[in-house]
Amino acid sequence: MLGNYLKMALKVLARRKFFTFISLFGISLTLLVLLVATAMLDQIFAPQAPESRGDRTLGIYTASLRGEDSVYNGFAGYGLLDRAVRGLPQELPGVENISLFTTARAAISYVGGQKIESSLKRTDGAYWQILDFSFLEGGPFTAEDDAAARFVAVINETTRGRFFGDEPAVGRTIEVDGQRFRVVGVVRDVPILRVVAYSEIWVPVSTAKSRAYLKEYQGNFMALLLAHSRADFPQIKAAVDRRLDLAEAHIPDRRMFQTIDAGADTLFEAVSRTLFEARESRPELLWALLLGLAVLFMILPSINLVNLNLSRILDRASEIGVRKAFGASSHTLVGQFVVENVVLTLLGGALGLGLAAAVLAGLNESGVIPYADLRLNFRVFFEGLALALFFGLFSGVYPAWKMSRLHPVQALRGRTV
Amino acid sequence: MIQLERVTKKYRTERVETTALDNVNLTIDQGEFVSIMGPSGCGKSTLLHLIGLLDAPSGGSIALDGKPVERYGDRALARVRNERLGFVFQQFHLVADLSVVDNVEIPLLYRKTTGKERRRAALAALDRVGLASRTHHFPGQLSGGQQQRVAIARAIVGKPAVLLADEPTGNLDSQMGDEIMGILQELNQEGTTIVMVTHDPRLAERTHRVVRLFDGRQVQ
Amino acid sequence: MIRHLLKLVWNRKRANALILVEIFFTFLVVFAVGTLGLFLWDNARRPLGFDWQDVWAVRVNMQAGSDDTFTAEQVETAARLVREVETLAPVEAVTGAMMEPFAFGQYTSGRTVNGRRVSMSVNEVTASFAEVMRFDVVRGRWFQPADAALAWRPVVIDEDLAREAWGEEDPIGRRLGDPDPKSPEPERRVIGVVRDFRHHGELSGPDNFVFYHKRLGHPQDRPPRVLLVRVRPGTPVAFEEELTRRLQAVAHEWSFEIAPLAQTRESAFRLRLTPLLVGGIVAFFLLLMVALGLLGVLWQNLLQRTREIGLRRAIGASRAEVHRQIILEQLLLTTLGVLLGTIVVIQLPVLDVFGSVLRPQVFGSGLLSASVAMYLLATVCALYPSTLAGRVQPAEALRYE
Repeated sequence: MLGNYLKMALKVLARRKFFTFISLFGISLTLLVLLVATAMLDQIFAPQAPESRGDRTLGIYTASLRGEDSVYNGFAGYGLLDRAVRGLPQELPGVENISLFTTARAAISYVGGQKIESSLKRTDGAYWQILDFSFLEGGPFTAEDDAAARFVAVINETTRGRFFGDEPAVGRTIEVDGQRFRVVGVVRDVPILRVVAYSEIWVPVSTAKSRAYLKEYQGNFMALLLAHSRADFPQIKAAVDRRLDLAEAHIPDRRMFQTIDAGADTLFEAVSRTLFEARESRPELLWALLLGLAVLFMILPSINLVNLNLSRILDRASEIGVRKAFGASSHTLVGQFVVENVVLTLLGGALGLGLAAAVLAGLNESGVIPYADLRLNFRVFFEGLALALFFGLFSGVYPAWKMSRLHPVQALRGRTV
Repeated sequence: MIQLERVTKKYRTERVETTALDNVNLTIDQGEFVSIMGPSGCGKSTLLHLIGLLDAPSGGSIALDGKPVERYGDRALARVRNERLGFVFQQFHLVADLSVVDNVEIPLLYRKTTGKERRRAALAALDRVGLASRTHHFPGQLSGGQQQRVAIARAIVGKPAVLLADEPTGNLDSQMGDEIMGILQELNQEGTTIVMVTHDPRLAERTHRVVRLFDGRQVQ
Repeated sequence: MIRHLLKLVWNRKRANALILVEIFFTFLVVFAVGTLGLFLWDNARRPLGFDWQDVWAVRVNMQAGSDDTFTAEQVETAARLVREVETLAPVEAVTGAMMEPFAFGQYTSGRTVNGRRVSMSVNEVTASFAEVMRFDVVRGRWFQPADAALAWRPVVIDEDLAREAWGEEDPIGRRLGDPDPKSPEPERRVIGVVRDFRHHGELSGPDNFVFYHKRLGHPQDRPPRVLLVRVRPGTPVAFEEELTRRLQAVAHEWSFEIAPLAQTRESAFRLRLTPLLVGGIVAFFLLLMVALGLLGVLWQNLLQRTREIGLRRAIGASRAEVHRQIILEQLLLTTLGVLLGTIVVIQLPVLDVFGSVLRPQVFGSGLLSASVAMYLLATVCALYPSTLAGRVQPAEALRYE
């Protein structure tokens, strides 16, 4: 029976090529856009290597200092973060590890008269334990290297190519911003959208040109806290909040700033905090924004689909009449329409998936986004497909069902002019 | 007023050629009430469509008011249909989404008239067929006989010289059919030429002349 | 005829409602993308107010504690840096500033002038800024080194700010910001007006701009975060290395990042054009989808109306008239959708969503072009179905039930 339905459905779709084409076009295009957008979001937020422990990591990503008429919104300084997290693993059993590191900043090298611009990140030793880099050569530098202020560096694959061609780099030196570093490790390229992991060159924090950063409250540092499990998050957040309250007394410019707004957030909470300039992290706001955008985007395709389906069905009023006259029951008729719509949606879904894969591969290949490693999100794919099915069935089957209950003579006669 | 000379109409599909009308000669004079009879599929409707300039013959010639219509372009044909002819169909063919009076006004939309004139003419036509009280109903709310009366009002609203009716009573019971026939006869007495297709001999008897068709040919 | 069609459209509201909704949302999408495009285009054709070619920005990372804590030694080092760069042969002029043009991020300040709140973007620059960036003062004068001795602080504003704060009156000598005994800010007075200074680049919207005077080597003024260096035309990129070396020699502990303004300008372009590009591509495909969908629906509706069209042909409508009627019906529906959309969109300026960023002309032309686009879309979609309608043979359409 189902095979029969399927055959019929394919025949109907093949006969009405134009309608089939428009429906497929709409469904696949909508899925394409959804998939590309979520691939980008995943690249930023999802726990992908090297942030494979991202689901149990909290971070202090930005901080606001507030005073009567002044506000500083930006990255925190080392001094502030140090006060917020130093010694937490000893204090709270839920905290496995902590790390302080800078954001990636541009750094200049000259090799044989050629200027090379790289992203440079200064990190401590724990950074390499919390994150999960895959090394092509050598290994990370350690807490000991940082403590002794050794001029060692980890570089990514592309940087190795820029400095040394395809030859091994470990043991050789690079000069960056006038400082010379010995390469100890080479890692696979990291996508630029991963704010924590991304850089091209990583060197110890202690190799900074001056020690002034140690006391700074404003700067370009971030902190990571690795928890044993998500269940420890509330406790960690509370502990960090308490420490930040105490840190307020030590703000270097007490005249300008009196309070600190920061906290241990997941990356998603952190983005929400900065985006809405909220004093507390409000992830639900960002969720609402993203969902709102998705709904706004999907309104048109949905209406289009519903519209097409309705007119497709109305057009077949007389067909329904004939089939009823020959003894088809309402059930078989509705079954026929269900199968037709499901086939159409699945075809569109497959097409959209293929297109999205092609576009993502193209984006990864083109280098528009440096080191992009965008991947399909199958959960979103299935959600989108389910939505398309819903609208397809809602708009295709309900009127078909109503029509199938019409008296055959009425259906045959159709409407007046 | 209408002359058909050796008119032939053939329909071609990809392989088969069917002759719907074969060598028909017919003259209809002003003021006549002519009925066309014959079994179904004999070419009655085709003949009416040719007279109504809705279709062009495959051979022979048609003249209206002494002028051959072959050379008329689409615009001129539309003009003649609009000003000289009126149509009544078996299925009424009213626009379901327009009220009775709006339906009657349609022919006047394709002429240069003002909205007021249109409305006045439409109301007069509806009055003429006895439907003045139903002007704002929709076709779906009327009985078959009433719908056909609306169709007649629409056909006569432009004061055509010739009224062409294709089985006007075919979808109606005999009492309503009689009413419609009565209206047509009155219109004829007022000077309108009428050509009516029917297969009902009782109705045909009430007209001046009967043209019989069998298998596309005229029989006496 | 239009009244007749309006009735027809209205009486078919159930069939038409979805099409109307589709037109309405499409209008919103076209309006949003179109207005963004027009906004950028309108900005791009206005003069920039300075010359960025052959200017290099040297970002100075001096590892200071924070914004307001800097040492006398750092102030002195910064002054020495400027003097050092001035002596280099390929350099025409050097200036120090808080920010370089085209850079991401901004410093805004709000001041009360004559009891009205005026917001403005601020840059703090040394006296040679006008020489490096090559712009003219249209009224009053630019900063001079001697201004360091004034008891009040001089500022130069751009025409946008002059207009918003004082209208047609002469701003020279006026106080920027009403006196506020609580604020530690020194008194600032306008000494000059320059043409609109578009710090954020060609694509940025209207923005009030004010220059504060940064006194190089003055212990109270923060050392410049960026040096702007005008080099002689044709200076090779290799000079960057020498420049870095010379800077590094003066300040060992600081680091420097050199980027020609041309490069910063390009990334600013990219930053502003990317949303338009992405939005434009998505909107284009949405539009294509809607166009095909509408075409399909209209076509289908028409198939159902074959008999009506046959009837109209029979009672005197010519091919052209039927053709016109179908297109007209579609345009009527579009008018309704556009009207609805306009009512919604008009709420944005009424609720003052854009502030002064979006000029009313840009909003107006956005509205107009979106409407025109919708009419075009509707006409294109109705063209084929209406041609089909014109081809309906009345004899055939009316023959069978």
